[in-house]
Amino acid sequence: MLAQLREVTKRYVKTEGVRDLTLDIDEGQVMGVLGLNGSGKTTMLKLMAGLLFPTKGEITALGGPPRANRARLVYLGETDALYAWMSPHDGERFMGGLYKDFQPERYHELLDFLDVPRRKTKAMSRGERGRLRLAMALSRDVKLYLLDEPLAGIDLISRERTLKSLVREWRTGATIVLSTHEVAEAEGLFERVVLLKEGRVALDTKAEALREEGKSVVSTFREVLG
Amino acid sequence: MKGFATLLWLEYRRSRVWAAALLGSLLFWFWGLNQVTVTDVGERAGIRVAIVGIAALLGVIVLCFMIGRIRGETRRGQYQILLLTPPSGYLHVLARFLFALGVAIVYYVIIGGLLWWVALQAGIHPDAGSVLQLLLAGPFYGIGAVLVPFLVWTLLLMVFSSAFRLSGPSWIPGIVMVAGTPFLFRWIGDGIISVSYSLPTWRMYAGLTALAERFSPEELEITVNGVPVAQEPLWIMLALSVVMLIIAGRIWQEVEG
Repeated sequence: MLAQLREVTKRYVKTEGVRDLTLDIDEGQVMGVLGLNGSGKTTMLKLMAGLLFPTKGEITALGGPPRANRARLVYLGETDALYAWMSPHDGERFMGGLYKDFQPERYHELLDFLDVPRRKTKAMSRGERGRLRLAMALSRDVKLYLLDEPLAGIDLISRERTLKSLVREWRTGATIVLSTHEVAEAEGLFERVVLLKEGRVALDTKAEALREEGKSVVSTFREVLG
Repeated sequence: MKGFATLLWLEYRRSRVWAAALLGSLLFWFWGLNQVTVTDVGERAGIRVAIVGIAALLGVIVLCFMIGRIRGETRRGQYQILLLTPPSGYLHVLARFLFALGVAIVYYVIIGGLLWWVALQAGIHPDAGSVLQLLLAGPFYGIGAVLVPFLVWTLLLMVFSSAFRLSGPSWIPGIVMVAGTPFLFRWIGDGIISVSYSLPTWRMYAGLTALAERFSPEELEITVNGVPVAQEPLWIMLALSVVMLIIAGRIWQEVEG
């Protein structure tokens, strides 16, 4: 088991991000975490990354508390969080200096594949910055990728290329937990689908099982959450 | 070690504009010193020393602003990225502090140089020992006893407010912390004064003060043996700064993003 959530509740000042969430995440799996806005997707990923701590319950990632294992997982948040002065070259310096598992060759390959311009982020569009963030995240060689809305704000071609990059990571045996609103585009990637509703698991199923029933992830999403 | 070097580089990239502006401002202050054209030599030197004093004070303020720019990082999400990097919170805090300290050392050594220039312009030619004290001992004492605690306190305050977002009930400890600062400083100041001069004092600028006294014996009420400087404020403030740095690092280590 690569990661576990046991009856995890995260309470904010006035609301609850997730409630009694229990999930086991296996190695080498692509798991889609889907739900409406405010359903708890980001909270769940932040908890798994160790950015948030649970109010109740227990989380382990890569065999220990997520924060302690932060150097061994990738978390790509939904916020456009690059420094304005940062260029792809600076990104390489940053990642290479801080992460032992950073792969410079893969980084350059991803920069080319995702067509990231070689200029400072302040001169990039939102989508270009998103692609740079993705290249930085996927150029690390880890077992667990937690990706929160990696497809948001980027064009169709780049989304397709992003999905191809994710498939490649998955083929190397990595586990990808992916939250996205681009359900239709990403559904071919999912092996497992978790639908969240008001912080709880509304559905946890294998994508293959849905296909066998003649259902798509999109139609199931509408059926369960609509 | 590579991680820490990268954090220092990151701090340099984050703050180099501030550092360059601060160090560049010394040209402005030097220009300002040259604009003082009062004919009385003693008065001219006095005005110039006051200008250098203002530059020194503004340096503290600018450096505190430079080191305290953490809230913006929190809003933009960069703080969250840094929280998940492998180096510990202590190293993050230390890198920020050391970069600011490095800039401060350069700035205040040059300020010491400006004071030397003011002395030379007033016809006071200090001996080699006094020049070294003007350029090194004086700035380092001031940095250790005054600037370092201010920098670390600012860092601690901003790490604290970024960590707890100062929203909802967190406002209470935040307000207590900010509003309590002047009282805390006063309490610490009173404490330091009460124990100062228990240890042997350091005599500084002996050559310089002797010359200055010869130059203007009535106006400058200083001893020919130099200015007696108490050791205690330096040691107490440095010890407090270390404690505050550890607390800031611990908060960074434990905080949610």
